[in-house]
Amino acid sequence: MKSSIHDSGGASLSLLEVKDLVIEYTTQKGTVHAVDGISFALDEGEALGLAGESGCGKTTTALALMRLLPHNGRIIRGSIRFRGKNLVTLSELSIRRIRWKEISIIFQGAMNSLNPIRRIGDQIAEPILLHEGVEKQVARRRAGDLLEVVGINRNRLRDYPHEFSGGMRQRVMIAMALACNPKIVIADEPVTALDVMIQAQILELLERLKRELDLSMILISHDLSVMAETCDRVAIMYAGRMMEYGQTVDIFTGPKHPYTQGLVGAFPDIRGARTIPESIPGAVPSLINPPSGCVFHPRCKFAFDRCTDHIPSPSAVSGRDVACFLYPEVQEVSPRLVEAKL
Amino acid sequence: MARLLAVAVRRSVNAFVTIIGIICLNYVLVRLMPGDPILSQCPHNAQYSASCAYDYSFFGLDLPPWQQFVIYLQKLFTLDWGVSYTTHQPVASVLMRALGWTLVLVGTSTIFTILIGMAVGSYAALRRGKPFDFFSTGIGIFLYGMPIFWLGLVLQFSFIKNSFFSQTFSWWPVLPPHNYYDFNNPNLSIVWVWDWPHVSSALVHLILPALTLSLGTLAGISLVMRNSLIDVMTEDFVLTARAKGLNERQVLRRHIFPSGLPPMVSLIALDLAFILGGAYQVEVVFDYYGIGWWTINAIDTQDLPVLQFIIVIGGVAIVIANLISDFILLWLDPRIKIT
Amino acid sequence: MGATEVVISRPSVVSPFRAQLTITGRRLGEVWHQILHNKTAMAGLCILIFFVFLALAAPWIAPYGPLQPVNDAPALSPPSPQHLMGVSRLGNDIFSQVIWGTQVSLLVGVLAAIVASVIGTAVGLISGFVGGWVDDVIMRFNDIVLSIPWLVLMIIVAARLGTIDLLGIILVIGLTGWSVTARVIRSQVLSLKERMFVERAKMVGSSNTHLLLRHIFPNAFPLIFANTILTVAISILSESVLAFLNLSVRQNISWGRIVAEAQKNNAMTIGNPGWLIIPGLCIVFLVFGFYLFGYALDEILNPRLRRR
Repeated sequence: MKSSIHDSGGASLSLLEVKDLVIEYTTQKGTVHAVDGISFALDEGEALGLAGESGCGKTTTALALMRLLPHNGRIIRGSIRFRGKNLVTLSELSIRRIRWKEISIIFQGAMNSLNPIRRIGDQIAEPILLHEGVEKQVARRRAGDLLEVVGINRNRLRDYPHEFSGGMRQRVMIAMALACNPKIVIADEPVTALDVMIQAQILELLERLKRELDLSMILISHDLSVMAETCDRVAIMYAGRMMEYGQTVDIFTGPKHPYTQGLVGAFPDIRGARTIPESIPGAVPSLINPPSGCVFHPRCKFAFDRCTDHIPSPSAVSGRDVACFLYPEVQEVSPRLVEAKL
Repeated sequence: MARLLAVAVRRSVNAFVTIIGIICLNYVLVRLMPGDPILSQCPHNAQYSASCAYDYSFFGLDLPPWQQFVIYLQKLFTLDWGVSYTTHQPVASVLMRALGWTLVLVGTSTIFTILIGMAVGSYAALRRGKPFDFFSTGIGIFLYGMPIFWLGLVLQFSFIKNSFFSQTFSWWPVLPPHNYYDFNNPNLSIVWVWDWPHVSSALVHLILPALTLSLGTLAGISLVMRNSLIDVMTEDFVLTARAKGLNERQVLRRHIFPSGLPPMVSLIALDLAFILGGAYQVEVVFDYYGIGWWTINAIDTQDLPVLQFIIVIGGVAIVIANLISDFILLWLDPRIKIT
Repeated sequence: MGATEVVISRPSVVSPFRAQLTITGRRLGEVWHQILHNKTAMAGLCILIFFVFLALAAPWIAPYGPLQPVNDAPALSPPSPQHLMGVSRLGNDIFSQVIWGTQVSLLVGVLAAIVASVIGTAVGLISGFVGGWVDDVIMRFNDIVLSIPWLVLMIIVAARLGTIDLLGIILVIGLTGWSVTARVIRSQVLSLKERMFVERAKMVGSSNTHLLLRHIFPNAFPLIFANTILTVAISILSESVLAFLNLSVRQNISWGRIVAEAQKNNAMTIGNPGWLIIPGLCIVFLVFGFYLFGYALDEILNPRLRRR
């Protein structure tokens, strides 16, 4: 399994490869640089975590993977290679065939993601009928099977979303996401709105599904503890850029980037010394006018001159990618690219 | 299913209570309000003085108020509503016929309004921000604020013989400005008969009033439809539908419209009183003998028996219409079964 | 190595009232800024300013008084240079009447809307906040009032009040127009009650009036304001209908009344179509102005209507 984006070796084995993705939103207040040059990869059967504070571009990336950006959002540059095809340039018709059938998504807050006036059985069967053209009975039976996989009794097919609790609605969303046996499932904050007990259950479910169905997952969360449980690799994002990217174990036990260190350090260790965890001072920067150079430098206690003027590009350091000038191996973003941005 | 029934029963009981309230309020309005009590002061015209005596005996005006109330209730429920001063016909039959005319007017114009209003509103919502949306919303707001009586007058004079338009364009139609009774036509009598000359005449004479009422209420519906659809289009489950790979038309048909419709139904229902108010104005302008015309006429001529019961009819009609729309909503939106 | 020093500043001690005022002021500034940049709002505002100007400048702009008989032209004469819109049956200059009519429409519209808004807001706040049987009773009464065609209600009330003066007509429209506002405010209060911050304030021990005044009312205020503007539009329309039916102010002439006179005297056929059309257009445009402004304000205060 590759630890760095630069670790290609021979033929690329990745299921999904994102390179230098740049996404912008046009708003009344200006252009929001939501995602500013991200690269990562997802292998078969792997779980990748996208972590970071709210507004760092995780959800935008997820939406972009399925070309579901809102009207004012646009992919400016970059590529998303899935099974050899670049999803960015694919036609609308082709993308619709890929949606849900190859890549599906579990949205944040399943409460509103289900249509309140349709029965959940219909909603689960809908993509099956759409993509596989089977008969209604077959689709309904499959929907029932899916419910059982996620631990819900199949005779609840005829119920409406409001008749389920929050945790169960999340399970329904998971069942729905698996409807067409996709290769990749994106889970955007799957457990954020749930209480801790239910969180554990859902995570366990996701873990089990990943194992049994050999699913590839992209898990998005601001909660690092969730990543630690289920993900093989993790990408730490901040203000639309990648800060650190590598094996979960490596990143958690020995974070290299100051931001990651801050995030990991914010968790009190149950076995460690009884100290008050340090928090990262300052606030998330505006994405309309991001800071020059390294986007984290205003909040970084190690920042020096180079950080203010030059943008670090994620480069291989000790088996993972880090974007921080503290490490001599780290390159700058090539000037050609920088000019293109201006 | 049982829950559905329970909610339906509760709504019906609510409507019933409201009707009772209307009946009482009606009594209060006509009898007990401060100012010129219509009842205790007889119409000044001499020819009505006989009716004055009738009034007293019929309504028991010399009795104390609470007894008058009882009499009022009695008369109301036995449909013994007295005789109109002006036409000397039983009020009940006059009002029932008038109600029929009004229903025809409101019915035809509402069908037209809903069809066109929904179409325009939907199209505007889908083409948000584009020229169609901008212009249709602008024209909509313009029409929405137009006093219906003025619109009726303008239309009336636009389609009259020798109007400005008919002189400028040879193809401009001429539409009759008043009710169906055209005294030039020997086949018609002022008393209604169910034969072709009358029906055809009535239909032709319905065009302008219905058009006026339609235009006046169309704007409201189209604006509400647009907003309702836009509200739905920003919902999360619409994104889910798109993520599943549905094309725009499928998303519209299966997710957006079914959710956008119920709020519109309930808002239309609330607007019914407004629509009826518009109908009243149209009837006055076009001399259309419906409930509205009779109400104004009754106030002008102080035709008390008519006045006493005409409010009840209008109010009850609205309550029943609201109830029907409630039932339609229940059928459309399963969530309502809970509340 | 230039580590950035983070300085934590002490907030200065300021009274909660001053704080609230500053916040409100800032918010108002934001909203005003957005209004200035909103084409719809500006269009509406321009129309309104035009009519307000007409109303205020009437004594100087109008050549004659509204009911003043003119000497230099016979009754029912068509438009001429001395009488831009002709002369009415009673010998008044119609152009002046239209200008003076602006005063009545605006005055009645705004004041009646304030009356209706105050009553409606009070009823809505109490009904939503207190809940229970009080809410049930009030809402039932509201239903009943809403079920009676507003026109009938207004006509009956107007006819009962006998001689109609300015105050009278304002009361008539105001007293019959509160029902929709009450309902709208009530549902807003109900949804605000559910919000967490109210719960927390309760736990801290705030009294009910404190809750109402300091938490619920400020949050409902934008809605109240936008709703009032729309109510003004409806009041102006209502007044015009009443005037058309000869149930409005007698001392001054209102646009609806001018239209009614035009109709009675067959303005279209005696060569004075403007008599009928222009006052109507005035009503239309004034209401249009209020609607544009209110509509735009609603969009500003309710962000969901804006493009996501």
